[in-house]
Amino acid sequence: MVFLTLSSWIRNRGPDRYWKVKELLKHARHFRGRKNRCYGVAVRSVQRAFVYATKGRVLKKRNMRTLWISRIAAASREHGMRYPVLIQNLTKSSVQLNRHVLSDIAITEPRTFHSLAKLARARQKEGFCAALGDGKEPPGVLSRVVLMQ
Amino acid sequence: MTSRGTPSRFLKSVLQNGVGRYVCQLKRISIIFSKKAQSSLGVREFIEEGVVDYANKNPGTVVYVSPQPCRIPKIVAEYLNGNMREEMITSKTSAQISELLNKLSSQSGLEVIRIRKPFHTDNPSIQGQWHPFTNRPLSITPVRPPKQGSAE
Repeated sequence: MVFLTLSSWIRNRGPDRYWKVKELLKHARHFRGRKNRCYGVAVRSVQRAFVYATKGRVLKKRNMRTLWISRIAAASREHGMRYPVLIQNLTKSSVQLNRHVLSDIAITEPRTFHSLAKLARARQKEGFCAALGDGKEPPGVLSRVVLMQ
Repeated sequence: MTSRGTPSRFLKSVLQNGVGRYVCQLKRISIIFSKKAQSSLGVREFIEEGVVDYANKNPGTVVYVSPQPCRIPKIVAEYLNGNMREEMITSKTSAQISELLNKLSSQSGLEVIRIRKPFHTDNPSIQGQWHPFTNRPLSITPVRPPKQGSAE
């Protein structure tokens, strides 16, 4: 008599479980608690981590821009101006520096930023002259706003 | 792949290579292949025709050719800063292998991971970095030595 049914009950599961687990746990090594050791808990945490990373790529751009804006606002207030005034007048004088570069200049080259603030202030005054004045060009002309009006 | 979970580094050059003399950062290339297997066909062709020219073109790199019984032919590149890179060359043509070798010889040995910023300076500030007193007016007048006339 040979028992054949017993051997046919043995299932051959996949051979790669060890490496699949290892691949997943390597993304969980810096987690806290059992999430960095136990596969079942780590699966969910790693999935959430990837989702957060994806969402964070969009948020990072927003956060960096708000950070630059607040830094430029603080730097321009030191020179007696406000952020919207600075930005509007710089664009009107066709200075195409973006907020990233402006905030870096405000930190590492304070005198250059001071001269940019003065430029914006002068352009603002010319704008006021053009809007409220009598059409004559003020002394020390910066832009042709008055003539264009 | 999270930014915290995967390694990252800052942009760097190896000892400002290229500012003065350029030193090829590739120290050693070992080509491991099999004499008979079908996957190392391209490697064997490359060794017949291209390896000697490559070795003559890169005099600073040592080329080791080691035929062994192996399943996957490999190129092991070692760099001057100690890093090692292994590339599998199964079923690659001779032209592809020479292109790969040129790529390896033009790399510095720094790891191929995410670079945090695409720029780097040793001197970021020329006018002096901002500190809370840069734009404040001075509270005391500068101290000068007394005038000669009044003193005498």
